[in-house]
Amino acid sequence: MAKIIIIGGGWSGCAAAVTAKKAGADVTILEKTDLLLGLGNVGGIMRNNGRYTAAEEIKALGAAELIDITDRAARHTNVDFPGHSHATLYDVIKIEPLVRRKLKEMGINLEFEVRAVDVQMNGAGIKSILTADERWIEGDVYIETTGSTGPMGNCLRYGNGCSMCILRCPTFGPRISISQRAGVEDLLGQRGDDSYGAMSGSCKLCKESLSEEYQERLNKDGVVIVAIPPEDINLRKLSIKVCQQYALKEFAENIVLLDTGYAKLMTSYYPLEKLRKIPGFEFARFDDPYSGGRANSIRYLSMAPRNNAMKVSGVTNLLCAGEKSGLFVGHTEAIGTGSLAGHNSVRLFLGMPLLELPRAIALGDIIAYTNEMMNDVDGIKNRYTFSGGNYFARMQKQGLYNIDATAIKKNIEKIGLTDIFRTRLI
Amino acid sequence: MQQVLNCIDAGTEYCPCFLAETGECLMCSQLQRKTFCDCRNWNGVCIYQEYISNRSQKKEHRKALPGRILKREVISDSVIILKIQVNKTLARELSQPGAYVFLKNIKDPNYFDAPMSIMSADEREASVDVAIQIKGVKTRALDEFNITEVSLRGPYWNGVLGLKYIKGVQEQKALLVTRGIGQAPAVPVAKKLILAGNSVEVILDQGRAGANFAEKYFRELGCEIKIKPVFDLKTLTLTDEIKEYIRQSVLENSIKLVYSSGSDKMHEGICRLLLSTAPDVFFACSNGASFCCGEGVCGSCHTRTTDGTRIKTCKTQLNPVEIFGGGR
Repeated sequence: MAKIIIIGGGWSGCAAAVTAKKAGADVTILEKTDLLLGLGNVGGIMRNNGRYTAAEEIKALGAAELIDITDRAARHTNVDFPGHSHATLYDVIKIEPLVRRKLKEMGINLEFEVRAVDVQMNGAGIKSILTADERWIEGDVYIETTGSTGPMGNCLRYGNGCSMCILRCPTFGPRISISQRAGVEDLLGQRGDDSYGAMSGSCKLCKESLSEEYQERLNKDGVVIVAIPPEDINLRKLSIKVCQQYALKEFAENIVLLDTGYAKLMTSYYPLEKLRKIPGFEFARFDDPYSGGRANSIRYLSMAPRNNAMKVSGVTNLLCAGEKSGLFVGHTEAIGTGSLAGHNSVRLFLGMPLLELPRAIALGDIIAYTNEMMNDVDGIKNRYTFSGGNYFARMQKQGLYNIDATAIKKNIEKIGLTDIFRTRLI
Repeated sequence: MQQVLNCIDAGTEYCPCFLAETGECLMCSQLQRKTFCDCRNWNGVCIYQEYISNRSQKKEHRKALPGRILKREVISDSVIILKIQVNKTLARELSQPGAYVFLKNIKDPNYFDAPMSIMSADEREASVDVAIQIKGVKTRALDEFNITEVSLRGPYWNGVLGLKYIKGVQEQKALLVTRGIGQAPAVPVAKKLILAGNSVEVILDQGRAGANFAEKYFRELGCEIKIKPVFDLKTLTLTDEIKEYIRQSVLENSIKLVYSSGSDKMHEGICRLLLSTAPDVFFACSNGASFCCGEGVCGSCHTRTTDGTRIKTCKTQLNPVEIFGGGR
């Protein structure tokens, strides 16, 4: 029996667990907090722009479970907001228990409040993982999906300090780079000005703290756009953002609110005093990060070099996915890379050739393209997402963007990969 | 491969310390002249955050305070017990296993500072009891029949290794094996264990102290006491009797934790005996390193773990098996 240990229970870790399980492995997720999904507990945006294509590709490849849950938990579908079309906004308050239940039903072992802190190597492979409570956990193949957010020292050195985000490092302890512990140096994302890291791109207001009019409009339409007073417009803030798909002028000149259960405010942080001057925001307060008036989490300081089958270079039995595997932004990107890593973990165990997705589909192309860009002087300053920025432009140019689910399904069929993630290998 | 190492001072009012300023922090990669977090040994507080918010300086360091001698008790030719007046805050801070102070006769210069385990601390009366074995220059200077005042520098806390195992055992059985002056640091260990609902058995061997001076403290706490020779000075090994007793205790009497309080050779004997008979039983021990500054600066207390890593034992908390277990 292949024993697959997944470190980190965010979207990519959960996706890896699903496909590794479906391929026939015994799967355990080690999650340092008490919640799965990590930043997925405060995200919520799916299917905007090219993410629609990618979501349908993931389903056609045979890993529909998590995409289906986000669809089922949708508060709004087909929402348009500046630069973005046909978005689905899932309810961030409902999503985690649904995913947790699904994973348990599938027989995936979930270990909460277990923080992986080190590895014991056996040659070039990982023999076991040390947890903060001094247990050694052994597996055959490991998948690192620890993400790249934080911890506090990084948020302080490269940002405005700990913003008390959903990862709750002070409570559960900081993220540790497992690949770095295994002797593989981390790659670091940069900003335009050559400094390191990038700041999470949205904060969340308590919806009930907004005026009744805005609450109603959010509940009805999913989106509210309010002009920012001219003296408070700060275009510079766009350059530090993770989410280049939202680093548009409209997002600096307007408050863009999306209804994800919270009122998702599409800017990294917003000083509370200034925010409360705007009519309808007099009672505004932040729900995530708690210090959203001042800061947000810092990301992309811990990426592992990998190949396009998601295997970490230099370690024989370690794969990676999500932000750990490159400058990706978003849940869909995490689920896509995670699904591939999970499936390949079983192939790696069996000594089979690892699956690389062809560049004829968006998911295959973004994995390969991001890898190329990680080695590029300017590429390392960019972020890659189906939903905007330069990668969405590339998708459109390459003819990879499609919102016809049937056509996407056919496309996957054409390359012979229909339901590949559903195939039991053991 | 080491287990988790912790700094005893992390998160206390004395953290960050001198080591943060010099880029030698035991815990924080950002304060080890690196520029990214690699927080393997997280202890609940971001030390880098503390450092930056303290304007990139260490916190105020420990000061020496004068302490009046309330009582001087001669136990044997080589052991005295001093009851010393301190303030309530210091008494409270010293009321835990592993607590110690640097002590010297008030009239002597700073380099007479000798590390002394706190045997008992009374917050209400603002006093502490220390047992002193008269051995060399520093301790002889404290052994004046008319001594009236000492200087105490503290509080320090790393006089016991494996503290988290002591603090983690509840409603179980524990065995404390003590010898000579090692009886003193075992008293707060027994107190902590008793307060957590454990039943505690203490083995006393008077060793070179020439008396079981801590017996009354253990009795007051409600420990079960056995008097047995623990260590054979000729062979530098545990006596056969104690080996058999420990073996029976862990195998038949469901002892959850064994604490060794004496020499390093004694720790080594007990630690290896446990590893070979009941590796799941927790092991903790007194810290017998030579402390000089207590701040991780001077290097006199350094030792190596079984994998060769050099550690500063005045500040580093770890599983003592890493030092005395003889490798995995």
